[in-house]
Amino acid sequence: MFASKRLSKELQKLQGTLPPGISLISAENFEEWLMDIKVMDDNPLYRNEVYRLRFRFGSSYPIEAPEVTFVQDPSHPIPMHPHVYSNGIICLDLLDTSGWSPVQNVESVCVSLQSMLTGNSKNERPPGNDAFVRTNRQRPRDINFVFHDNKV
Amino acid sequence: MKVTILEWHAVAAWRWDAPADDVCGICSQPYDSTCPKCKYPGDDCSIVEGECTHTFHMHCIATWMQHDPKSQCPMCRQDFKFKGENVAQEPQGEEGRDVGEGAAV
Ligand SMILES: [Zn+2]
Ligand SMILES: [Zn+2]
Ligand SMILES: [Zn+2]
Repeated sequence: MFASKRLSKELQKLQGTLPPGISLISAENFEEWLMDIKVMDDNPLYRNEVYRLRFRFGSSYPIEAPEVTFVQDPSHPIPMHPHVYSNGIICLDLLDTSGWSPVQNVESVCVSLQSMLTGNSKNERPPGNDAFVRTNRQRPRDINFVFHDNKV
Repeated sequence: MKVTILEWHAVAAWRWDAPADDVCGICSQPYDSTCPKCKYPGDDCSIVEGECTHTFHMHCIATWMQHDPKSQCPMCRQDFKFKGENVAQEPQGEEGRDVGEGAAV
């Protein structure tokens, strides 16, 4: 009930004007929404591509972070980024339990991911991507990410 | 004697001391309305201000602080401390509100 009241407010707003490059694709219930994001500058890594994000909300959203992943389909690739695994799982402190704040929302998460891509110039996956993608059966929220940026 | 009522003013309206269009950052409901857990606005669902000046529904910030082991303000990530006497303490019985600022040590 916490989640549905808050999400219906967010939905009203998302159906109005959104920042450039961000669009609402579907929000049929208060469990799962799809959003598209597009990088607005001319970063050659992401030029002419649209990326699809799936948001999954628990009943205590926004006290708990939503689960946010990139989803792949014929017209939506998984963006190349050192924090994005090739299965769409995103390693971003904002979405981790320790970095999440309940004043964040779907729109602000989209904006953060958009700028995370905009600022990237590395055509790379996270270290250990292949092994992670092959073996991971956990939901993103259950994974204890080691934030690569903190490593030496 | 007969009294004709010429005009009638509702004086029972009240609002929290916060801009009317302001919403709680946690639940997105206006401060004039309740948090998602409550039905009736008023003392049972008050708003609180932190020392950092950010305000929330008391129930919303309490839910967050239970969840967040660091008990930081969701807005600015400073430790959230209730400001002044507008605190989430249990009412101390009669006239507990008359104590001046700084009485609670
Ligand atoms: Zn609230
Ligand atoms: Zn309440
Ligand atoms: Zn604050």
